[in-house]
Amino acid sequence: MTFRPPLLLLAAAFALATACTPGGGGGGGGGDDKTFDFWSFSAINQKLTVDAYQAKHPDIQIKLTEVGTSTETAQSLTTALAGGKVPDLVLIQGDNLPQFVEQPQNFVDLRTLGADDIKGDYLDWVWKQSVAKGGEVLGVPTDVGGMAVAYRTDLFAAAGLPTDRESVSALWPTWDAFIETGKRYKQATGKAFTDNAATSVFYQAVNQVSEKYYSEDRKLVYADNPQVKAAFDLGIKAATAGITAGQSSFESAWSAGMAQGQYAAVSAPSWMLNSIRSTAPDTKGKWDIATIPGGSGNWGGSYLAIPKRAKNPQAAWNYIKEMQSPQGQLEHFTRVGALPSTPSVYQDAGLVDAKDPFFTDAPTGKIYTDSLLGLKPFYIGPDSAAIGQEFLNAITNVEQSGGNPDTAWDDAVRNIKTAIGE
Amino acid sequence: MTAVTATLTPAPSAALPPPASPKGRRLGERLSAYAYIAPFFVLFAVFGLFPFAFTFYVALFDWNPIGDQVFIGADNFTRMFADPRFWNAAGNTVSIWFLSTVPQLLLALVLAHVLNHARLRFALFFRMSMLIPYVTSVAATAIVFAQLFDRDYGLLNWLLGLVGVEPVDFVQSTWGSHLLIATMVVWRWFGYTTLLYLASLQSVPRAVFEAAAIDGAGPWQRFRHITVPSLRPVIIFTVVTSTIGGLQIFTEPLLIASGAPLTCGAVRQCQTLTLFLYEQGFGQFEFGYGSAIGVALFAMVVVIAAVNYLLSTRIKADR
Repeated sequence: MTFRPPLLLLAAAFALATACTPGGGGGGGGGDDKTFDFWSFSAINQKLTVDAYQAKHPDIQIKLTEVGTSTETAQSLTTALAGGKVPDLVLIQGDNLPQFVEQPQNFVDLRTLGADDIKGDYLDWVWKQSVAKGGEVLGVPTDVGGMAVAYRTDLFAAAGLPTDRESVSALWPTWDAFIETGKRYKQATGKAFTDNAATSVFYQAVNQVSEKYYSEDRKLVYADNPQVKAAFDLGIKAATAGITAGQSSFESAWSAGMAQGQYAAVSAPSWMLNSIRSTAPDTKGKWDIATIPGGSGNWGGSYLAIPKRAKNPQAAWNYIKEMQSPQGQLEHFTRVGALPSTPSVYQDAGLVDAKDPFFTDAPTGKIYTDSLLGLKPFYIGPDSAAIGQEFLNAITNVEQSGGNPDTAWDDAVRNIKTAIGE
Repeated sequence: MTAVTATLTPAPSAALPPPASPKGRRLGERLSAYAYIAPFFVLFAVFGLFPFAFTFYVALFDWNPIGDQVFIGADNFTRMFADPRFWNAAGNTVSIWFLSTVPQLLLALVLAHVLNHARLRFALFFRMSMLIPYVTSVAATAIVFAQLFDRDYGLLNWLLGLVGVEPVDFVQSTWGSHLLIATMVVWRWFGYTTLLYLASLQSVPRAVFEAAAIDGAGPWQRFRHITVPSLRPVIIFTVVTSTIGGLQIFTEPLLIASGAPLTCGAVRQCQTLTLFLYEQGFGQFEFGYGSAIGVALFAMVVVIAAVNYLLSTRIKADR
């Protein structure tokens, strides 16, 4: 009988009420500059980097909180900015960044701490995504998401397919060839070739475009952009070809399938390698990495930002400067495999010669930096994440719920219009 | 208290000896009653009334928690009524409510009737066992049921496979997901409802049942002509409470679709109204729009409560 729904908004009401209180958490009064709070998302092993920093600076205390997925971290950050206790340092995933760049008043303009001095170290198009309209710099890029395909050598061999990475890469110069390979695999084994069409095909292909959901001048073009439509059609084609296991990425059944060897090939942006490693530790040595069909592209990457009301922005900035320097990113790469956003290390032996034993000693540094060559950067806008999610849902609907593939595109566009209110 | 009395009562005239007049004591007692109930009403004002009023206020804005708040009047409501996602959520809510309430109340009726049987051994054990699902946490229930109904590794699909039925993807299909959520709701609440019915049944003199049996009424006739009529008020009560509960169902759909929890699946096949509210408010941070949905939900609950009032007065009139 109680009146529940508005009670859900109670939390929000309170957060907002405290937001209006002047001086709430601000001012930096009393905070010593030896400790700071750091919010990261889980499963990307920021702890290793934090530990490395603390080993070098034993007097600094970092309180690392792994909030959850990248989306959950962004949600928690929004709530905190609206009136809660903010961290001193926060990791924001690339797709979530634009909504914060639209509201720069919530963050420290990193130029005031010296961002202009280090700007030249980073890939220009990656850096630009964290620059607000007024020129404020909100974040420093930590990594980029070069793309590739991870495949199971043992399963490929069982299906009579080649297993060495050059021959496998040669199997799929295009996405159509990738789907054809999937059909060959399915014919030989009767089993699914890849985990799903939405992320392993559509999300990979749609991140290889030169213009995505927004045009260069920041207008919405997702509905009329032939490049997006082509990627979507590839996703639908893969979904209807019967080559997928229909397991949505990162769900528990997806993880179980990964561990049980149900997928012969999965999309592998550089940050995914860590996910495969932790999801299916027993499959070590059974994987290898081939190039992505259709050439270069970027999917993902993250930024470190400092909220305006941070108690200790200087300590957070010191951390950024040291750990996100070209040398720092190179070391991070050797620790967890995230691809540096600093091109000066792309020729470094530490990166070029790096081999990943989990993936049959694949030269991950070389494969992923090659996938960034010739990349044409596209603008990511405030609604990019929501638009991508609706496209993904439409493909999943065809793949898993028997949705009509012929109307999927129109349905997706209509849903996006409702979702973003345009 | 004496200080309060002293300041609030007029000074007693010198001619009248008792210093604290009966009138003054009465006032003190009256005030102390307000002091005793004050904590609830203060908390209610802070945690109930204020958020409630604030929700109506926010619903009139395009409210960005980390940016601007723009007054847009009733735009959120016009948008909501034109939003297919709202009607989809409303439809899902009604469907899940129907699928869970009807079997739940029928099951509880039958169980209460059986548990009230005179010759049932270990009756107390069986009655207490009814409460076990109710005390189990929703999250634990959801995790277990999601595994039982899993497409690839679920017990249910394994059983279906034994009789040659193709595996059903319960989470990804509309009817499957509604059925799954309804099953969880039934499991959680049937024991509670059974005990409500049983408590009410036990106020019916056993002699009535015995007399009916002597007159030749079978179990079914006793159920129809004694159990159900004597439970009428409490049946209406449970229908109304489960309707209000059904309108607010949140946790079960949130937990079963682990990949897309806020939409409960790729095409919002099991997204309920509260989940839609939460998605808009705390997933998309459209606080204004989320509040508008909250207001609509409130209106629906008020309508249900009005029906409740009308029904319960009718019952009184019948007696």
